Amino acid sequence: MEILNNFFMGFGYLGHIQPIIAIVAGVILGIMVGAMPGLSPSMGVALLVPFTYNLQPHVALILLISIYIASEYGGSITAVTINTPGTPSAVVTAFDGYPLTKQGKAGTGLGVSLVASTIGGIIGTIILIFFSVPLARVAVRMHPAEYFALAIFGLTTVASLGGKNWAKAFLAAMLGLLINTIGIDPISGVKRFTFGTYRLFDGFALIPALIGLFALSEVFTRIEENKLEKGAQTKFDKEQWPSFMDYWKLKFAIIRSSIFGTLIGIFPGAGATIAAFLSYDIAKKLSKSPETFGKGNPEGVAAAEAANSSSVGGALVPLLALGIPGSASTAVLVGALMIHDLVPGPMLFVERPDIVYSLFAALMVANFVMLILGLMGAKLWIKVTVIPKKVLMPAILAISMIGSFAVNYSFFDVAACIGFGVSGWLLKKYGFPMAPIVLGMVLGKLAETNFRRAVIMGGYNVFFTRPASLILLILAVLSIGIPLYQTYKANKKEKNRI
Amino acid sequence: MKKALVIFLLLAIVSISAFAAGGAEKADGAEKFPTKPIKLVVYTGPGGAGDILSRKFTDIASKYTDATFVVENKAGAGGIVAMEYVATTKPDGYTLMYMTKSNVSKLVTTDSELDPMTFDWIAQMQIDPECVITNNKTGVVTWEQVVADAKAKGGDQLWLGPAAGGLDHVTAQMIWKAAGIEAKWVPFASGGKAKAALLGVQGITYTGNPGEIIGKPDFSVAAVCTAERLPQFPDVPTFKELGIEGLENEVMWRGFAVKAGTDDSIIAWYDDIFEKVTNDPEWIATYAPMGNMLVHKPRDEFNKIVQADYDAYKAAKQ
Repeated sequence: MEILNNFFMGFGYLGHIQPIIAIVAGVILGIMVGAMPGLSPSMGVALLVPFTYNLQPHVALILLISIYIASEYGGSITAVTINTPGTPSAVVTAFDGYPLTKQGKAGTGLGVSLVASTIGGIIGTIILIFFSVPLARVAVRMHPAEYFALAIFGLTTVASLGGKNWAKAFLAAMLGLLINTIGIDPISGVKRFTFGTYRLFDGFALIPALIGLFALSEVFTRIEENKLEKGAQTKFDKEQWPSFMDYWKLKFAIIRSSIFGTLIGIFPGAGATIAAFLSYDIAKKLSKSPETFGKGNPEGVAAAEAANSSSVGGALVPLLALGIPGSASTAVLVGALMIHDLVPGPMLFVERPDIVYSLFAALMVANFVMLILGLMGAKLWIKVTVIPKKVLMPAILAISMIGSFAVNYSFFDVAACIGFGVSGWLLKKYGFPMAPIVLGMVLGKLAETNFRRAVIMGGYNVFFTRPASLILLILAVLSIGIPLYQTYKANKKEKNRI
Repeated sequence: MKKALVIFLLLAIVSISAFAAGGAEKADGAEKFPTKPIKLVVYTGPGGAGDILSRKFTDIASKYTDATFVVENKAGAGGIVAMEYVATTKPDGYTLMYMTKSNVSKLVTTDSELDPMTFDWIAQMQIDPECVITNNKTGVVTWEQVVADAKAKGGDQLWLGPAAGGLDHVTAQMIWKAAGIEAKWVPFASGGKAKAALLGVQGITYTGNPGEIIGKPDFSVAAVCTAERLPQFPDVPTFKELGIEGLENEVMWRGFAVKAGTDDSIIAWYDDIFEKVTNDPEWIATYAPMGNMLVHKPRDEFNKIVQADYDAYKAAKQ
């Protein structure tokens, strides 16, 4: 068992003071980065890269990986407490996390998101350690046709996200897809809807859109309701923290979502957000009481958080096994490795096993540190829910402006964020959900570019001749068809009764 | 009336202070440049290849000068965002920009109104030859095998690489023309994703630079666009050896520019730094093994190269 020996060697390396400081500092920074709308995990890692140039390579990587893993959890804090997802993948956490807070059960939302994140992170790491080489070989064989089919399958979650409101959810997703068509065409280089300004060459950035749609639109709605003078109504006491039995009930949802999240994370270009949406959808479909999803079911929080945290381990699979980044954050890690003259890829295991295995050990330890710091911090985060709204709302407004500016140091993004905020507020007024817009924006580019790439490579038949693509497309049809048929049947029954 | 007066007074104050600032700079700017930190604008995000090169440069430059360099990442629109930003700065030498040949091609492909001579291209530092990379596991590894496979597939051979219209795509088209073969270009979001697809045997070749196969035992370089074989890759033939003419100088170059109009004395200060970095053992140890030619071509020569590249891209577009 050479792998275990190497693993213990990796743990041995953590016995020094510097790596431990790096983990603790990384986890604290990561939680803050995640919780701050506007700082996504990849930006958090990127911001810290320059600070690591003068550190030892081990310490530098341990610090960055700790930030990465903790920020995927951190996004859930604001998603649960104030319905403002701090990271794109935490959009899904808010579906059930925020309703829990509104019912005065913020503790349940926070506790479940922390525990699910930790277990997800650990399962992702275990899969990374033991199966990275064979999994990476499968990942690079994934054809553009399969990416397209996966993106379409992801889009079908709109049908169940929307519930009775599926038509409006569908329109919102279409809006997200349309927004995605702005910018330079990724395949042919033609400018689409850029109106002559280079600011639109890359289309709208996701983060300012996310902040506008969720955080700002919420602020505008509160201003309109004019209920700012009322303090928070949420009361909280010790009772609301979940017990061991509460967590035990979620074991299948967490384990299933963790494995699923890791697998999705492996495919370069898929990532945490898609993993969270799909896991949530699967949890809902397998649940005995799917109607409680979206109304504060802890299982929904668990599925989303386990999936996005476990995708970290998945995204590291192609990075370490092949030298190819699986996510935006791991792309930044490639740069961090190269500045220390380390070339990521299979040779790293041979030439510098110390680096690889201390990284594995650090991933494990970072998850436990995150659990401890998260438990201590949760008592603090929960107080966000008792901040009077007239203090909280201006604070969210200020953070939104800073967050959208921070993405590219550009006032254009701030303006875009306000634009999305106003549109989000108007759309919400008429009952359109926000999450499908984000889903459309995340999946639109993946679907479009891979569709066109697949056609260049194998013509239009390729989607049906490749088995994996065909299966995913059939699943997509079923996943949208079955809920619609059930709604139709239910409506018919109701009519008959009348 | 009152309003007009206020505006007039404001304008007067602004213009006076602008003159004052300009005068002050002239007084000490030429003498003891630099007196404040120099901003190095990088058009990729942190961790990108250009970012790493720029930070390595500032690291090594700090051995030879007390000047402080601050790297600022301005990613977006393939470099146009950063170029537009630098174009608005004052030509005082305090804003340096990392540039590559793909910035020049972007100006043309995006129909940008920016003239390349908005910038003074003060130092070309690296010349990285283009090459064709293959996967050892496909059975199509050498250039002869690539040609035979292309002919067998009759135009359906797949060449993987980054975005359409970029440097690698243009090079691939020149190779097809020169070699008399036909193939299809499959553009990916980044070079890394295209390499992943080549590892997964989704295509036959990847067009890039020789350094990209380092640490990846599955990859080979089939042929390289230089006149002579590269000392770092002695087994890799040049296209010329293979009987294909006209591909001796297809390269990616990297260098630095400032806003045009910067004082000659400031550029002389930079020349000295660039010369020292070019000869620095750490710089050589980092970039020579990748197959890069490390050079220091100063402004007159570099500006001519940029103008020629720009004109060639313009001509190719029409």
